[in-house]
Parts: sequence; structure tokens; C-alpha cells
Amino acid sequence: MSYLRLERIEKRFGPVSIIRGVDIAAEKGEFVVFVGPSGCGKSTLLRMIAGLEEVSGGDVYIDGARVTQTEPAKRQVSMVFQSYALFPHMSVRENIAFGLKMAKVPRAEIDRQVAEAARILQMEPLLDRRPRQLSGGQRQRVAIGRAIVRHPKLFLFDEPLSNLDAELRAQMRVEIARLHRELGVTMVYVTHDQVEAMTLADRIVVLRGGVVEQIGAPQDLYDRPANTFVAGFIGSPKMNFLKGRLESADAAGVTVGHPALAAPLRVARHGTAAALVPGAEVTLGLRPEHLALEGGGARIGLTADLSESLGGSTLIHGQTRTGETVSLQVPGRRMLGKGETFSVGFDPAQAYLFDADGRAL
Amino acid sequence: MPSRSAGRLLHGLGLLAVFAVTVFPTYWMVSSSFKTQSDLLASPPVWLFTPTLANYADVFADQKVVNAVVNSLIVAVFSTGLSVLLGTPAAFALARYDFRGKSDLWFWFISNRFVSPIVLALPIYILARNLGLLDTHLVLILVYITFILPIVIWIATDQFRSIPKELEEAARLEGASQFAIFWRIYLPLGLPGIAVSAIFGFIFSWNELLYALVLTRRDVQTAPVVATSFMSGYELPWGKIMATGTVIVLPVTIFALLVSRHMVRGLTMGATK
Repeated sequence: MSYLRLERIEKRFGPVSIIRGVDIAAEKGEFVVFVGPSGCGKSTLLRMIAGLEEVSGGDVYIDGARVTQTEPAKRQVSMVFQSYALFPHMSVRENIAFGLKMAKVPRAEIDRQVAEAARILQMEPLLDRRPRQLSGGQRQRVAIGRAIVRHPKLFLFDEPLSNLDAELRAQMRVEIARLHRELGVTMVYVTHDQVEAMTLADRIVVLRGGVVEQIGAPQDLYDRPANTFVAGFIGSPKMNFLKGRLESADAAGVTVGHPALAAPLRVARHGTAAALVPGAEVTLGLRPEHLALEGGGARIGLTADLSESLGGSTLIHGQTRTGETVSLQVPGRRMLGKGETFSVGFDPAQAYLFDADGRAL
Repeated sequence: MPSRSAGRLLHGLGLLAVFAVTVFPTYWMVSSSFKTQSDLLASPPVWLFTPTLANYADVFADQKVVNAVVNSLIVAVFSTGLSVLLGTPAAFALARYDFRGKSDLWFWFISNRFVSPIVLALPIYILARNLGLLDTHLVLILVYITFILPIVIWIATDQFRSIPKELEEAARLEGASQFAIFWRIYLPLGLPGIAVSAIFGFIFSWNELLYALVLTRRDVQTAPVVATSFMSGYELPWGKIMATGTVIVLPVTIFALLVSRHMVRGLTMGATK
């Protein structure tokens, strides 16, 4: 039985459905990331695990026990808020000790635990400061410290890095990964940043409009997205989509035609979508990092729009004859002038195919 | 630039006018309290004079004044203290919980102040007389609480609402009870607003004259009542009146200064980004 289990979870605010029947399970020690655009319900879902939000339907289980109606404090979960939610009138030490004090843990034990948390997070010199005397990264550390002293069954993170600048975010990301490795606890982490999701997660849950679009390991989502939404959301820069026509299909693969393609493209099938009718509309997905100016088994003709140098590589945006935008990332500096025509090649094995409803073929 | 200097001049004159209206009466009261009767009655007024403490000696020799100040203190401290004690949990509930009749209750607190105090003076007098509460500290404390409690509730509710909800949620997850959340999070963070409402309440009950006049006789006369009682003879003892006035104003000023330390803005800074 899974350590954390959400069964047919629903959340309604009056007539508005926010979460519509979500099933998720996580094993002990796993790092699960909920990812999705804003308004997809990922934070609501996290708050329902914490008990801060009532569940309209379905059940939450933690460590085998049904906790759907259990008080937040009794669920033995800790949460790190986006805004940190540190108590401003207390010192760092008092902030970290708060939960232990509430649990009436003996003084000496509290001191020991706080010292231990401070050591793990390298913030011993900060213990007597007030939150307002700390930088954003330090506040984040205190919030994490407050979460770890209680040795919760579950760590919940609600977009913990979104208030930090890019450099600090990268640094804290590494630190959270290290913490997960050292403590070996189950963590559920909410973010809208797919880079955080890809780098931190053992498993990613992609949400949209209150439903789960796909659950899987980061590499699986990247290699075998279930639909165009997941394909577009996972991976940066975003995947290119081209609307083509199915020319023929058999058990092993399909052949796709598109005006920009020099020759019809033969693609192997990943999904198990229903009968494929020749002439049906399909979407061809191509990742910018899989496109190259030279080589490749298939080629697409493009007209250059804009080139962005990233230093070590160049991001080129072009358009097909049909007006669809295609971006590619190539190593080195290859600035193309606007209006210049060029062609890009790719390996057909790295192309993705989706049906008219966006489901992977 | 002439227009700019003219603007400055007007600005300065405006400030002077405000200063004269607000500060001069206080200056006149305090300085007069150190004058002899002849200096006080001199025309034109004397600006430089030999100060005397005779008026203060007079005031403190008068048991009535000393008693009045003590009475005022008792009434003000208890009415303010009880209002804060009762008002802050009420404000916490209004700020953080949804319950039936919440907005009606809120309006009721505000509408209390629509009624002119004089309208209720007679009913309250009759009520107090029938309950045998006339000329007691208790009756003034109870009446003043009905005035101060709404002030405390308004200001504290507003203050509590401005505290980020995440703090409460974090505390809940950490196992804090409702009371602990109120006591350890809301009360310390709401202190600036509570201090302001306490100052208002204290000043109100310290200066209140109407109900003190109606509901007290001899035993629990408060300072404002005693101050007016000097104005009934043939010869007005101006020096003593001014010295009494100064003595009356002093405790409120000291209280306001003490409490204002807690009125620091931005106390919640650092809680959330």
C-alpha cells in the first residue's frame, strides 16, 4: 500500500469544480512534484493533503490511515509556504521551536532538535535574528528548518522558490534535493516551473484544469508525453507542433505528410490510440533540441524570423510555409537574418505524433 | 521663484495657525497654573512672571481633587482593560471566522455609536438607580465599556485582518490550538492596533463628563466632574482650575506615551515576502 494516497479527490467551491476526481499515490521516501499552469488546482490539492482545505469528495490516506477528516496538526505533515509564513515577532530559534513547544516537548530536547536543524541547514549564526533581518534565501531556510524539526511523515512544499531570484532559486533547488537525499522522507512539491519539476522529482504529476494529465518519472514524461499538453509543458524551450495529415498507418507505424516536409515522414507508434484513418488530422511534435541545421533523416523548410544568442548556443525561430512557428536550439553562434530561408533536419525516431484530440499516437 | 516663496510663506502661516489653535491653549493652561491670582487677572496678560507652586499645593491639599484623580484612574484602567480583554477575542472571531449573523453583529457594533449619549443618559440613570449602582465605580466602568468595546473591536478586527492567513495556517499545521494562535500569533502581531484602541478608550473614559456627572454624587466623582465643580463660586480660582487641568491631562499623556511604543508600523514585516 502506498505511503500517500489520494482517492478520487474532488474540490468544489459552490458550483465551481476545482479538482475533478484525482487519484495519486506516492511511495515512502519518494519526491513527488505537482506541476501545471496557474489555476490547475495543484496548490489546492497540496492544501487538501495538509488539511488546510476541506475535501469535497474522495479520501486522503497517509501511512495507511485515512486522514480525510483529521485535523491538520494530527496528520504529522509539515508545510513550507510560498510566502514562508514565518512568525515575524519570534526569533529564528523560536520559529523553529514553535511546533515542538506546541507539542510540549521538553526544553532540552527542543534545544537539541533546533541545533540539529540549524546544523543541517547551516544557519547556526542566524538563530537569534528576527525574520525581517534575514534575506529571502535565509527565510526560506528557516521555513524548511521549522518543517524538519518535527520529523513529519510528509513534507509539503507550496512553490517554495518562486519568491527568490534566479541564482538563489538554483542554489536552493540543489539544497532541497540534498535535504531529500539526507532525510529520506516523502516530499510533495508544488511548482509551475517545469525545470524544478524535472530536476527534483522522482515522479511528476502534471495537472490541468483540476485533472491529472499524466503521472510519471521526469524522463518518461519527456520521452513519452501522453498528450500535447504534457508534451508542451515538459521540456524547455517548448516543443514545436505542426498540423499534418495521416497518409497511411499500420501496426508498426504511421506515415505523415506536411507541406513543409520534403518527403512524407515515417514515424513509429508509442501510444495505443484507436483506429487510424488515412487523411485524419495529426499533430507532429518536434523538440527544439532535436532539430539541427545539418543532417537528420527528415527535413523541414523554414523562413527565419528571429535568432537569440544564449552565449553557448543559439535559439532560432522560423516559420513554415503554412505559417506555423518552429524553434530550434543549435550549438554555437548561428545568427540568421530575418527572411532568410533554411532547412532543419531531425531523426524521425525523435518525432512525436498526436491525434486530432491531442492524444499521443 | 516668487510663487514658490509665496507658497512657502502660506504654508508657514498655515502651520502657525494650526499650532496656535492646538498648542496655545495647553501652553496657557500649564503656564497659568504657575501664576499668582494677580498675574492671572492682569490685563494685558503677563508673559514673564515669577512662577509659584502655590496652586499645586492647593490642589493636592484638596482631598476632593486627589480622590477624583484616583477615581478616574480606577475607572479608566478597568474600563479600558476589560474592553481589551473582551474585545480582542471578539475581533479575532470577526476577523477569522465565518458565522451566521457576522455582518449584522459588525453593523451593530458600529450602530451603537450612532446614538447620541444624552439620549441614553436618563434610561441608564434609572437603571443604575434601581440596581443600586449610583455613585459606584462599577456603573461608570460598565457604561464606559459599552463605548470603548466597539472601538477596540473595530480597530483590532481591522488589524487582525491584515495579518497574513498563512501565519495562522502554519501555526495550525504546527499543532497550535485556536487559543494558542490567538495568544501567540494574533495578539502580539495585533499589538499596534490594540494599543491605539486602548489609548482611545483610556482617553475617552478619562475625559468623559456627561455620564460621570449624571451617575456619581460624592464618593466616585471623576476628575472632569471635580474640575467643573470649581466654576460655581463668585470668585473663580483660575490658578487652581488650571493646576487641576494640568494634573488631569498628565496621566493620559503619560499613558499615551507609554503605549505608543507599541504602535510601531511594519511589525508584520518579514513574515511573508
